[in-house]
Amino acid sequence: MALNTIPNKGLTSRGYPSDRLVTPIIINGDMSVAQRATSVTGKTSDGYYTTDRWNHSINLGTWSIDQATDVPTGQGFAKSHKMTCTTGGSTSAGTQTYFHTRLEGQNLQMLKKGTSNAESLTLSFFAKSATTTGTMCVELFDTDNSRQISKQISLTTSWTKYTITYDADTTGTLNNDNGASLYIIFWVSAGSNFTSGTLSETWTSNTNANRAVGQTNFAVTNTELYFTGVQLEVGEFDSTTIPSFPFESFENNLRKCQRYYYKETSSSNGANQWSAVGGISQANVGRVMMFLPTPMRTIPTSLGTSGTAGDYKIQNQNTGETCNAVPTFVSANLDKVQFNLSTAAGMTAGYYCALRYNAAGVGYLEVDVEL
Amino acid sequence: MISYKVFQEYTDEGIIIYGKVDKDGIVRVTCNNLDKHFQEWLFENKDNLPTDIQAKIDSGDLVITDDS
Repeated sequence: MALNTIPNKGLTSRGYPSDRLVTPIIINGDMSVAQRATSVTGKTSDGYYTTDRWNHSINLGTWSIDQATDVPTGQGFAKSHKMTCTTGGSTSAGTQTYFHTRLEGQNLQMLKKGTSNAESLTLSFFAKSATTTGTMCVELFDTDNSRQISKQISLTTSWTKYTITYDADTTGTLNNDNGASLYIIFWVSAGSNFTSGTLSETWTSNTNANRAVGQTNFAVTNTELYFTGVQLEVGEFDSTTIPSFPFESFENNLRKCQRYYYKETSSSNGANQWSAVGGISQANVGRVMMFLPTPMRTIPTSLGTSGTAGDYKIQNQNTGETCNAVPTFVSANLDKVQFNLSTAAGMTAGYYCALRYNAAGVGYLEVDVEL
Repeated sequence: MISYKVFQEYTDEGIIIYGKVDKDGIVRVTCNNLDKHFQEWLFENKDNLPTDIQAKIDSGDLVITDDS
């Protein structure tokens, strides 16, 4: 069984005891896991694209999103999250483009938010812009209570470690459940609907106009934005007292990401390798079960595929028949997904069967229960 | 524009599966009636749904639960 904690060493008197076992609050803050893809282009709408747990809200510009290897020197990071604006534009009132992660309420109860003992928070991260420089607003948004707080940083063309403290919030408890309670938002571009007020630097009920005041428009053609080492700590720290980044093994990080999203690819299995197994439930229809590597955040309700039926086969006895439809979701529980495979002919009810990928690197199965 | 369609019905089990039709016309994701993205799409397009989807709502097999 994988440990989900590691010792965090070398902390100051304002930090934690050196033998504290650390579970990072932010998953994949070092951008090391990218199950979906490592590089995508032409993105103009919201979504998770490359690094796990990092989402995009996009309504200005066309973006390439990469898991990059440009990292701050000597900090121990191997990967960063890179956003490249391939076609920029001018903001309109409703422009709302940002990069963010969403955290479950049940993992944030130690913040004691909404009580008289609420904790302050410190966010630390490395970032840079390859071209456009200016002000970036970094916001915490409590989605359970529609409350928020924003701070500004000055983004430069050099990797810089930013350390931002946020006051404790004695109003608005976070739900103790598996839903999204807190967003950590790095604004990229904001229209006047989000910039025309006074920046909300203390926790307050949301007023959109106060969320991203002073924000520079980074949706400028050829702008490259990089982020890594995103770390959220309970308590108030500055750049010298912030605990070291809570590095985890790749395995632990991957397993945590797979609670939200899991992708099995034919490249990892190889061409003609078997995957999910089951039986031929009726002529030319196989019902198979895929076991998931870790219980998901919530019961899956969908199955993603390549969209090409011919990427998949049903293996039965000594033959494999190419599918005539993509693998089709049937049902799921937290750690298993059932789906159907169908062929035009050649499968007799009552026999075992298995999913077989038709070639390496094309077919895949994905289960997505992201926040 | 993405859309959805009735993709498969397992009548013996009372299960209806829906397919998300991407902009290029390809179905990459199949889902049940509880899927968050499907429900968001249903809510956003509730006044102009494809015929096969509307038929499932009319028959009571599909309920729009998203009220966001």
